[in-house]
Amino acid sequence: MNMATVIAVIALVLIIFLAVRYIYKEKKKGVRCIGCPYAGTCQKHQSGNSCDKPAV
Amino acid sequence: MDERTRLLDAEVGKTYRVREINTEDDDMNAFLFRLGCYTGEPITLISKKKNSCIVVIKDGRYNLDNLLSEAIIV
Amino acid sequence: MRIAFAGNPNSGKTTMYNALTGRSEKVGNWGGVTVGSKEYQLKKEYSGGQEVIAVDLPGAYSMSPFTPEEGITSEYVRTANPDAIVNIVDATNLSRSLFFTTQLLELGIPVVVALNKSDINDKEGTKIDVAKLSAKLNCPVFETISTEDKGLADVIKTAISLAGSTQKAPYTQADINLHDKAAVDAEDRKRYDFVNKIVADVEKRQVLSAETTKQDKIDTVLTNPIAGILIFALVMWFVFWVSQTWLGPLVADWLVGWIETFQGWVAGQLENSPAILSALIADGIVGGVGAVVGFLPLVMVMYFLIALLEDCGYMARVSAVMDPIFKRVGLSGKSVIPVVIGTGCGIPAIMACRTIRDERERRATSMLTTFIPCGAKIPVIALFAGAFFNGAGWVSTLSYFFGLVLIFLGALLIKGITGYKYRKSFFIMELPKYKAPSLKFAFRSMMERAKAYIIKAGTIILVCNTIVQIMQTFNWHFQVVEEGAEDTSILASIASPFAVLLIPLGFGVWQLAAAAITGFIAKENVVGTLAVVYGLTAFIDTEELALTGGANEVAMTMGLTSVTALAYLFFNLYTPPCFAAIGAMNSEMKSKGWLWGAIGLQLGTGYTVAFLVNQVGTLITEGHLAAGFVPGLIAEICMVIALVLIAKKVRAHFDEQYALHKKTANAAA
Repeated sequence: MNMATVIAVIALVLIIFLAVRYIYKEKKKGVRCIGCPYAGTCQKHQSGNSCDKPAV
Repeated sequence: MDERTRLLDAEVGKTYRVREINTEDDDMNAFLFRLGCYTGEPITLISKKKNSCIVVIKDGRYNLDNLLSEAIIV
Repeated sequence: MRIAFAGNPNSGKTTMYNALTGRSEKVGNWGGVTVGSKEYQLKKEYSGGQEVIAVDLPGAYSMSPFTPEEGITSEYVRTANPDAIVNIVDATNLSRSLFFTTQLLELGIPVVVALNKSDINDKEGTKIDVAKLSAKLNCPVFETISTEDKGLADVIKTAISLAGSTQKAPYTQADINLHDKAAVDAEDRKRYDFVNKIVADVEKRQVLSAETTKQDKIDTVLTNPIAGILIFALVMWFVFWVSQTWLGPLVADWLVGWIETFQGWVAGQLENSPAILSALIADGIVGGVGAVVGFLPLVMVMYFLIALLEDCGYMARVSAVMDPIFKRVGLSGKSVIPVVIGTGCGIPAIMACRTIRDERERRATSMLTTFIPCGAKIPVIALFAGAFFNGAGWVSTLSYFFGLVLIFLGALLIKGITGYKYRKSFFIMELPKYKAPSLKFAFRSMMERAKAYIIKAGTIILVCNTIVQIMQTFNWHFQVVEEGAEDTSILASIASPFAVLLIPLGFGVWQLAAAAITGFIAKENVVGTLAVVYGLTAFIDTEELALTGGANEVAMTMGLTSVTALAYLFFNLYTPPCFAAIGAMNSEMKSKGWLWGAIGLQLGTGYTVAFLVNQVGTLITEGHLAAGFVPGLIAEICMVIALVLIAKKVRAHFDEQYALHKKTANAAA
């Protein structure tokens, strides 16, 4: 194992971990569609309109 | 201007007074009322097309379809 | 402390809310952009250190709701007890707006009136005596221009200082029986008389609103049934041409160059590392995500142009000109708005269906609106347009208008199945004044969406690509698949059964099937997965296109002809949207039957369109039918039979159902 491989493996694990954590966090917040251009418009607000209701 | 006519048959560019509104739909009547379209108020026909027309009610311009302009008697 | 923003539709509530909170909620120059309430903290410079929450509400003409979103507003101001209300009044239409204002003043909550759009009044020479108006209404009044932040600080400072105090109403409704329609009408009439008197006192107009202006001349052309639709087609073509043929690819070329260099550098660094690692990082992550990010400029330019269109007031005219066509197929004229919003993203489009009063029309619209290619489908379209059609702008325009045609056909189908009975469907749409679109706003909206796009690429797409890459690299025994034996990989064995179904459509290979499947998570995934399974990154390469005249590397690798490429593109565009949009559909429809009907209809449509394009296209270009015609035909016949059976079942229940629903059906228009 050379240096590049070690760095690459660490980077890979870190990137995937961060991405999955971000998705998990957003899902928990109730955002249904990550990165939807309108996520800010319709998902982030818990003000009782139907887009915040659970999907099913 | 004593004769009653439907807004649908009214003249373009002329201002009328609304005489009667009957869309056979209470909610719709009430909605028009809140826009300022009710008996005695002025309404101006700006332009007319095959399926719709543009009118001025108060200071706003609206596109009405023929079903609605039929129901407004001026 | 909570301050609610209420006012007539299109008076500029959300624009003011955005300016005060620093958010970028969707705004547009037509009534009904905001369909739900939103709240956020005020910026420090406005709140003066206190914790103040601004609540943006959908526009309403009065306290008695006509459409569902108006109901949100009246319910909020009645029951949520905000500490103060900022009533945004369209100063160019004082006579109508004050009706709602006087109702708000009766609630006892302190009201501050913001006379918005006062710049337009200055231009038209309309003078409003602010001091007099304030005295008559018994509440503070300020002139504001929310697009330029003018007057906002005064409004909000006053609202904060008044919070918690009580409001004395200048006009109080007499104690009447609210169930007596005639009494309510008479009372409303008195209220209007009161408002008219105030307006006559405080307002001086130079331009009478009933005069025909230059704007009316423009309207005559834009709402003309024939010219209006042609102009709309031209405008949409222009938007797609600029974003996908001219400016977009210009920037994208440069960006893709950098991504490729980076990918090369990463691969170089990993030369001595295990091949799997190099494949996973260089091809899977950098390549796959890079392929999606490469299309960012195209998407950004499109969002910028769409924002300009939404801002100038054109959309209301589009909906006016489309209304007769929509009505003929059993939808409402209001269905146009979701369709227009759908160009950006399907989810808000489905939510915008709320402005439609009739339940059947509302459900049908939310079911069909995703046939309009959304922003996430742009990379897919651009990829195929670039690789197979010389980057032609007409591909997107065609996809868009073909989506419209599918909406019409789908609506006719739903009309047939549900046994739609003729019912009066009124259409009234306010035509707002045109205004020069704000470049600043369009730029902000574009950047916001670009940010979201990058986040999506860096999370969902990245994870999906990694999974696809792993599934492609290993077989079921978790051994690395050897070169030449790619068909034994996990991905291939999962996707192959689906691929068989796609043979009649002309693209029955597992790679393409896999890409179509990942597309349900997010449509950009189609591009990402194709990049991974075929090991491609540079989908946009105009120089190469010029050299090889279309038969470039991408097209060669995928082994598709122009016909099958178009079939595959259409299949991806018109099958069900991403899961998130399906979820939105579910919560708006509130009916399992309709939801499954929608998914079935969308699957059937995607399949049928691709089948027809492939078979007819092959017949034309090569003189014979494409492979799998007979199985495909059998599948189509099965679909038709299923449709007939469903229609029969629905219609059997129709009469009893109709009797039950008669009351609501009558009330709706």
